[in-house]
Formats: sequence, structure tokens, C-alpha cells
Amino acid sequence: MTKRSMLETDGLRARYPDVFNRPVSSRLAWPSMLAGALAIFVFGLIHLGFSPIRMLNGIHQLGWISLMMLPPNPGASLPLYLRALGETLSIALLGTTLAAVFAFPVSLLAAKNIVPSNFFRFPIRRFLDTIRGVDTLIWALVWINVVGLGPFAGVLAIALSDFGALGKLFSEAIEGADRKQVEGIRASGGNALHEIRFGLMPQVFPVIAGQMLYFFESNTRSATIIGIVGAGGIGLQLAEQIRVLEWQKVSFLILMILIAVAMIDWISGKLRFAIIGPRAVA
Amino acid sequence: MLVVEGLTCRFGTKAAVDNASFSIPPGSFVGVIGRSGAGKSTMLRMINRLAQPTSGRILFEGEDVTALRGRELRQWRARSAMIFQQFNLVGRLDVLTNVLMGRLAEIPAWRSLAQLWPEQDRALAMSALEQFDIASLAAQRADQLSGGQQQRVAIARALVQQPDIILADEPIASLDPRNTRVVMDALLRINKHFGITVLCNLHSLDLARTYCDRLIGMAAGRVVFDDVPAMLTDHIARELYDLEANDVMGGAPVHVPANVDVPALGTAAAA
Ligand SMILES: Nc1ncnc2c1ncn2[C@@H]1O[C@H](COP(=O)(O)OP(=O)(O)O)[C@@H](O)[C@H]1O
Ligand SMILES: [Mg+2]
Repeated sequence: MTKRSMLETDGLRARYPDVFNRPVSSRLAWPSMLAGALAIFVFGLIHLGFSPIRMLNGIHQLGWISLMMLPPNPGASLPLYLRALGETLSIALLGTTLAAVFAFPVSLLAAKNIVPSNFFRFPIRRFLDTIRGVDTLIWALVWINVVGLGPFAGVLAIALSDFGALGKLFSEAIEGADRKQVEGIRASGGNALHEIRFGLMPQVFPVIAGQMLYFFESNTRSATIIGIVGAGGIGLQLAEQIRVLEWQKVSFLILMILIAVAMIDWISGKLRFAIIGPRAVA
Repeated sequence: MLVVEGLTCRFGTKAAVDNASFSIPPGSFVGVIGRSGAGKSTMLRMINRLAQPTSGRILFEGEDVTALRGRELRQWRARSAMIFQQFNLVGRLDVLTNVLMGRLAEIPAWRSLAQLWPEQDRALAMSALEQFDIASLAAQRADQLSGGQQQRVAIARALVQQPDIILADEPIASLDPRNTRVVMDALLRINKHFGITVLCNLHSLDLARTYCDRLIGMAAGRVVFDDVPAMLTDHIARELYDLEANDVMGGAPVHVPANVDVPALGTAAAA
């Protein structure tokens, strides 16, 4: 290393002025962004009527509710709740699967390495973005009006919103695939389907499967929520018991949901590891 | 007979290959030499039709392969098998499936897409692997193999294409000296044993001199040398590499690649 004192600072400064004379604007960028974020935060607190007093009163109430929740007890409704939980899981699974099945072909069309032309790709991307931009809950309200109350509306809601999200994620996975492997197939005399089947799929399948598992996990939660607005499943039971203030049943339902989500987490973790293989994890 | 006539490939205004013409009789082992950026890869890729020529023609046994499309194009690609510097295997597929990719142009698409490989094609693939001593790796994932093993799998894939010509684009540039020899010997064996024409891009002059019976020298996209290795004097070799070095790199000296220790041919080649 050169000793600090021996450095000819002036010469270096003359040769690389950009490094030494950073413009004021770039030096102030971070502090001003921080100040801006803080201002927005404070404005939000005031605007939304955040009040510590109301929170303290609320905590008092929360304590009461928590006490009434103990011990969790399903009463005579356990079979009903189990069936409802099964329904919620089915909604999540079917919705995710439907979304993925439709998203995959569309994601090919949205990937730059498959459809190089911006002209054709752009509308497909925007279409996916638009669908994705509407939340599952809103799709659920829409579908309940179209096909009526019940799990079918839930499946459609999840399938549609995740179709947009998965389509985008899949197309990014496809764009990230190694071109050389696809080229190897083409150079050997494979057609476009071969290139996708043998060059692309082996590369993107683990990514896609991982994303589907993750979406299934998170859709178990979504399916509970859209159940509350009438799309069937355990969410419906939960909303009902909160309305009639059956706190012990509420706590039991919450417990069921927590356990189900934890189990899915665990299983999908194992599955993901099995699919991706020990090599990619290392 | 492979005939290249006035072949040119432009990327924008820059000609990667500029009016190249030569013809290669069946059974030759031809080396294409020249600095990096000289246009060697583009030339090979045009012959396999991975790159689209801007002008000029490629004729094989009198047929214009530059005009082929669809199924005929894919069959030409199978007949002009490509071997890449980075192997271009599908890492997550097993070795056998990678080799079977060389049969795609022959097998009905529904069979290959469903992976219902005919027995005979499996046998062909296994025998190709056996020839390069890697039959025991058939069930392994390609990305778990060493570079030398991967390149041998790629050569097996090329071989089951039952090609008339093998286009090897710097097949040993990612390998150590020992594997360099194994892979070059494999190519030489295919050439001598099956009479398949080999057109091989090489960075190393010593390797080119050792293995090839003819050398095509390229500089700045043009063919500047085309003769037997004995005619490639040190003087011409230096010109070939320096000429362009002066053009592109502003006179910085470019070293001819370091000697790779390749013992004289004989046992390995004849085996
Ligand atoms: N796809 C491409 N797009 C633009 N330029 C390219 C492309 N492929 C090659 N070239 C250019 O063409 C020239 C020849 O490249 P290449 O055939 O790879 O040379 P070599 O294989 O001899 O190193 C280089 O200058 C390279 O930058
Ligand atoms: Mg090259």
C-alpha cells in the first residue's frame, strides 16, 4: 500500500474531479430524502387521527377480549370448522393452480427472450399488471356478484389476481434463464417447443414451483380473508363468530388457521428443497 | 463438400465476417484460427444457421443451406453439429437426456416432448457415451459434471446427430490442459474413425498445428490465410495476430496463446 502522506492528492484531484468534488445535490440527496420521509410519516399520523389515548383505551378492551377467548373451545362445531378449513385450503390450492396454469403460457408471451418484439409484448405486460393491480379482496367482491356467494367465487378471485402476479413472475424467471442451454437445443435441431420443453422448462421449473408454493401459503391467508366477505371457508365462520361475540370459538378458529398455515409453511419448505435440490441451496 | 461463398455477417455497420469464401472436402480436420473478435464464432454459427448471414451462400453437397426453413433447417442443424466453448448442455437434465437432444430432428415431436425415446435412440446415446468413457454418468445431472466431462457429453450429443460435419467453437477454451487433450483427441477420433468433417475454432496455434490438416486464418472478419499448417510460418502467424492487434488495440502487443503441452499423436488418436 502507498502511505497516505505520500499520495499526491492534488494530482489525483485534478485527474478525477468527479470523485473529489461531488456536487452539493448528490451530497444532500440522502438527508433530504430522510427528512421528506419523516415529514410524510408525521403528516400521516396527524391526518389519520392517531391518538395514544385511544390506543390505551383500546388495549384495555383488547385485554378483556383476550381473557374471554380463554380457553379456545369449538363447542359442538368442530366438524363444521374442519370442513370449513378444508374448504379454505381447497380454495387456495385450486385458485393457485388455476392461476399458474393460465399464467404460464401467457408468461412465455410476456418474456423478452421468447417474444422479442416490444410491440406484441407490451400489451400483454400491461394486461398482467392491470389484473395484478386489483387486490384479491376486490376480485372476490366482484365474483360474488357474478357467480353468487360461496367458495367458487373465492377460487375465481384468487385465480384471477394471482394470474397477473404469477404471469409477471414467471416471465421474469423465463427472461433470467440461461440462453446457452436453449441454444444447445436449437443447434441440435430442436423446434420451438423443444426449446421450451428441454431448454427452458428445466431451468424455470424450480423457480415456478417455488413461487407457486409460496403463493399457496399466502393464499391460505387470503382465502380466509375473502371468506369473511362471503367467499366461503373458515373466514365465513370466523366473521360469524366475531359478530355474535363467541370469543372462545373465535380463538379456536384463529388457532386452527395458525396451525394450518404453519403446517403448509413446513411442508412447502420441504417440497421446495426437494424440487430445487441440494445443489442450488448450497 | 462444404462450400462457403462470399459469406458476410454484419452487426449494425460492423462486419463480423466479411466476404469469406472457402470450400472444405469431406473428412478434413480444419482449424479456424485468429484473434478474439476475428469472426470465428460468427462464421461457425452462420454455417449451423444460429446466426443469419447478411449476404453470401453456404452450400453443402450442392444444396444451398442458407435458404432452408422449418423442418429442413432443423435437419441441417442436426447434420452440422455444433460444439460450444461453454458446452451448452441443459444443466438440470441428466446426461442421457442431454445426449438424446441430438435425436430431436429425427424423432416425431410428440414422442420427444413426452420423453418416450425409442429404444434404438437410447442405445445410440449410450454407445456414444461409452465411446468417451462416460456411460456410467448417464443418470447424473449435467451440471454436476466437471468441464471435461460436460464437453464429452456435448460431443456425444453431436455424435448421435449422425452429422456430416462437426462445428466446434473453441471447444477447449474452458478446459485444463489434460481435458484439452482428451477433448481434442475425441474430435480427432470422430474425424478419423467416422470420416466426419471437423471445423474447429481454436485460439491456440500449437493445438491448431498439432491436430488440423488445414488452417483457415481470420482477421477482422476476413479470411487471410488458408493452407496446410506447414505453410503457416511464424512470420505469418505473428502477422495474423498482430495485424489486428494494431488495428484494434492501438499497437499493444498480443501474445500468441501459451503453449499447451500436447504430446505427439499416436496411441490416443488411433484408439
Ligand atoms: N450478436 C452480436 N451482436 C453484435 N456484435 C456481435 C455479435 N456477435 C459477434 N459480434 C461481433 O462480431 C465480431 C466477431 O465476433 P466473433 O465471431 O465472436 O469473434 P471470435 O469468435 O473470433 O472471437 C466481434 O467484434 C463481436 O463483437
Ligand atoms: Mg468466439
